[in-house]
Amino acid sequence: MDLSRRDLIVAGATLAASALTPRSARAQTPRRGGTLSLRLWDPPHWDLDGTISYKTHIAQTFTHSRLVKHKAGPGVAPGTLAIEGDLAESWTQPNETTYVFKLRRGVRWHNKPPVNGRELTAEDVRYTVERFLTVKGNANAYMLRSVDKVEPLDKYTVKFTLKEPFAWFLDMLANPMALAIVAKEVVDKYGDLKPWESVIGTGPWMLDSYRPNIGYTYVRNPAYFVAGQPYIDRIEVTIDEDNASRTASFLAGKYDLGWELPGGINRSDWVQLRDTLKIKRPNLRVVEFPGNVGNHISMRVDQKPFNDVRVRQAMSMALDRKTLVDTLYEGAGVANPPGVPLALKDWSLPVDQLGEGAKNFAYDPKEAKRLLSAAGYPNGFPATICWTTYGSPVVVDHAQLIVKYLKDVGIDAKLDTKEYGAYISTCFYGKFDSLAFGPQTPFLDGDNYLFGYYYPGEMKNQSHVNDPVVADMLVRQRRTFDVAKRRELIHDTQRYLAKQVYYTTSVGTMYTTLSDGALKNYGPNLGYDYGGRLVAAWLDR
Amino acid sequence: MLRRYLARRLVVAIPSLLIASAIVFALPRLIPGDAVQLMLAETSYAKDIDELRAKLGLDRPFYVQYVDWLGRAVRGDLGESLWTRRPVLQELAQRLPVTGELAAYATVVALLISLPIGVLAAARQDSLADYVVRSLAILGLSVPAFWLATLLIVLPAIWWGWRPLTGYVEFRADPVAHVTQLLLPAAILGIATAAALMRLTRGMLLEVLRQDYVRTAWAKGLAERAVVVKHGLRNAVIPVVTLLGTQLPQIFGGTVVIETIFGLPGVSRFLFDAINQRDYPVIQGVNLLVVSTVVVVNLAVDTLYAVLDPRIRY
Amino acid sequence: MALFVRRKPLGAIGAVIVVAMLVMALFAEQIAPYRYDETVRGARMKPPSAAHWLGTDNLSRDMWSRIVYGARVSITVGFGTIALAISVATAVGVLSAYFGGLWDLGVQRVVDAWLSFPYLVIILSVMAVLGPGRLNLIVSVAIILAATNSRVIRGTTLTVMQSQFVEAARAMGCGHARIIVRHLLPNITATIIILATIGLGAVILAESALSFLGFGVPPPYPSWGAMLSGSGRTYMLRAPWMAVWPGVAISLAVFGFNMLGDALRDVLDPRLRGGR
Repeated sequence: MDLSRRDLIVAGATLAASALTPRSARAQTPRRGGTLSLRLWDPPHWDLDGTISYKTHIAQTFTHSRLVKHKAGPGVAPGTLAIEGDLAESWTQPNETTYVFKLRRGVRWHNKPPVNGRELTAEDVRYTVERFLTVKGNANAYMLRSVDKVEPLDKYTVKFTLKEPFAWFLDMLANPMALAIVAKEVVDKYGDLKPWESVIGTGPWMLDSYRPNIGYTYVRNPAYFVAGQPYIDRIEVTIDEDNASRTASFLAGKYDLGWELPGGINRSDWVQLRDTLKIKRPNLRVVEFPGNVGNHISMRVDQKPFNDVRVRQAMSMALDRKTLVDTLYEGAGVANPPGVPLALKDWSLPVDQLGEGAKNFAYDPKEAKRLLSAAGYPNGFPATICWTTYGSPVVVDHAQLIVKYLKDVGIDAKLDTKEYGAYISTCFYGKFDSLAFGPQTPFLDGDNYLFGYYYPGEMKNQSHVNDPVVADMLVRQRRTFDVAKRRELIHDTQRYLAKQVYYTTSVGTMYTTLSDGALKNYGPNLGYDYGGRLVAAWLDR
Repeated sequence: MLRRYLARRLVVAIPSLLIASAIVFALPRLIPGDAVQLMLAETSYAKDIDELRAKLGLDRPFYVQYVDWLGRAVRGDLGESLWTRRPVLQELAQRLPVTGELAAYATVVALLISLPIGVLAAARQDSLADYVVRSLAILGLSVPAFWLATLLIVLPAIWWGWRPLTGYVEFRADPVAHVTQLLLPAAILGIATAAALMRLTRGMLLEVLRQDYVRTAWAKGLAERAVVVKHGLRNAVIPVVTLLGTQLPQIFGGTVVIETIFGLPGVSRFLFDAINQRDYPVIQGVNLLVVSTVVVVNLAVDTLYAVLDPRIRY
Repeated sequence: MALFVRRKPLGAIGAVIVVAMLVMALFAEQIAPYRYDETVRGARMKPPSAAHWLGTDNLSRDMWSRIVYGARVSITVGFGTIALAISVATAVGVLSAYFGGLWDLGVQRVVDAWLSFPYLVIILSVMAVLGPGRLNLIVSVAIILAATNSRVIRGTTLTVMQSQFVEAARAMGCGHARIIVRHLLPNITATIIILATIGLGAVILAESALSFLGFGVPPPYPSWGAMLSGSGRTYMLRAPWMAVWPGVAISLAVFGFNMLGDALRDVLDPRLRGGR
């Protein structure tokens, strides 16, 4: 789907959505009070430096602040991730490897022991970074690998010095998986941050109670550093692990946002429930935008037969992406370009703008067979696809369709189903002999989608890509600070990757996000920052 | 006599426990992919994996880990979950009552259904009543539980806007809601067990009813009810009790589906997640608990058996 | 045969169902109008009609064909599991009962230990070690079934061993093998048949539950359990036929096997012979 059509759909959806809400949200003044009901996840524990689990990170976006965060609100187009200050009032970059942040004054910790509402200082920031980088078992530490040292210059100023220029540094800081600022006294008191009582931050809500496997409750932080916010008094979070039960609860009006990440529901559920929801919840707001979970087939490009670019091209041409979208996502899906998915509007490139490589993304089984013949495989060849179901019928269907399309061009691919744990420890990290297939981690920045998958030697370089041209482009974009130039570089990289087709990029879903009509001043977006998107929202009921 | 029998059974139980504990320890470790890799999955780098593994003590030799674990288990320390870092015993203490209650209610439902039906079917063997009643019972166990549960949750929501009884309510919070929320899942579970129990009851009762002492009772002119219930049922109950005893471990694993669908924080779901995540301490802890409970229960059942039927003292 | 139908009508119904399943399994290619993975253009999620008796699914595949091929999967997995389980159970049960003494004690302790596990742990652990797949599923479920069945077989063997002709055979000095094969096995055949029939029902149910948990027969084979717990469940509201038919198939199959097994037990169990 190209840019203009997608914009139209989003615009159309927003238009339709506003038609569903009786009054325009813009003209009203925010109302204090109310309880929001959400379905979220049960964190394995509450220490954000001890887990990569989105379950914990999402939960912390309500209670903690970061130096910078992503802009949120109904005016923000989903898929755009502009950065603004959170705890940092402003920042400067004196040279390529130095950042100086000026913190807001008067930011207070939650009024709970042992911090008891004292003021946040630069020392807290320094401590947090140190803990993030050194605490054992922090798998996300790589996000700030480029940091050399952190120094508080005075009570409200912090200086970061990087080992090498890294143009995405601010994006790393804004990501909810990274630097939520914590206080040393809390860590000292509890030993670590795993118990829920240790969830103490400077964020808009405070964690009032937690019942494992059942739910948790947030209450408003009266001393939040943005005057008047948050408007919502309480947030009741329910943990619900069964889709049938979630569906029923949502129909009965229980949750104010859709129950899946990032506040939506699965396409297949949406199509079935649409009509019933119109009757049962007529004032529901619907916003649709491309999702950032990519699906692709990885292959051993360092071995036969995949070391021949013609074979790779054939594989890509074998997929009927339009039918895949229709079948898997009821027509609401996107054909992603290589590397960065379309969802990241600021960085990605629609398939028809890929230039010479665009032809590899067209559905052309005849040409695919011809290419296979030219490469020396007139009758195709056998292959094995290593994968796991992720417990998702959509992934199962996707895999079966892929097998069918490959078979149509002569590639006799057998599914090698693995259990999730076994898959992660082998195929997901490139330990396979033929092919592997599956959904990929959703990131919020262009760098992660490219560097991990294409740089030689990286663990996630599933296809075993070793291309000096690509490696050079990847390193260069990391050092290009000018956003427009960086974008151009990334687009160039994508065009080159489209020609090489080191991965067979398949389709991804559109997110169908739902929010109750009573929730005003809310705009959905990609990513885990539920707290950031709700802090300025209010309830009109 | 009885004491010697009991003592012998006890002595025999210990090697069972030891063998079981070894199996419990070994089995999860044979599975490819370990907890650390899973924990750090998808965004990790090689160095972090090794560090975390060392921190969790997973890099020590197998037998060292086993002895260490066993030693601590005997003292009541089942270690910490690799994922949540909370003590396993604590987690179990929270979850066991839920599954236990569910199992208890399910058993009650099963008995309430199966005993009368089994008796009726035996007393009226090969009559229409026998057929109808048996068909219904078997049908009950033929329908996959998760399918039934799903239907019973989703359809009322669509037809009547009826919010499901999911989202666990603790007893302290609301005793009535607490009990009612368990009724539907218990009923679904109970129906499946009921069929098995009914079949057994009917079979045992049929056998007993042919015994000489029962014929004597008939001959003496005792009312049917007295014969069937007093003489027949009492002796048929023993194997039923034994069957219940053997079902016990299945309850710990078998309620996974129901617990998932109804959002009940029980031991089964906990165990299932632990297996998927290779959370060894949890898997070991739950298994050890289950195995110990089963051994104890079996011992109790055997004792009951011996008390009720003096012939069984071999 | 006619007597059987008259005396045990439920069993007869069960037998009919079982035979129907076997026919579907053996002659799937002849019976099913389409292949199980064949997509029919323009026929996505269509309700039952003349063209597609049971409707089509979300990947445009004919449901009736998939149900028919699914019978093959259920029968293969079912029979495979039962064959393995019964063989092991008979060996363990008979030998344990026959030789008795310390050997019996030891073996029963191991069986005890094995049986005191939640079967979920064993199945999941074995499946995780071996990986998903039909053969691995057969092995994991068979392991559990073998343990429980061995107990029953041992019990029956013990009873048979107390009968007079066995004692006589021993007194005459017959060898172990001869006694086992000629005297014991024929008399426990009834038990084995009953266990097998009912076990088949249990295996089919187990596969569907394992599919729900993500451990059933992996694609592309259409197993009823996977159809029911996967896409069937997802599209339940919009295309209920995707879930209803596999559910009906499973229920009917389990019902059939159980009824047949019950009837066989009534007929074959020597203790119950001899009317009221």
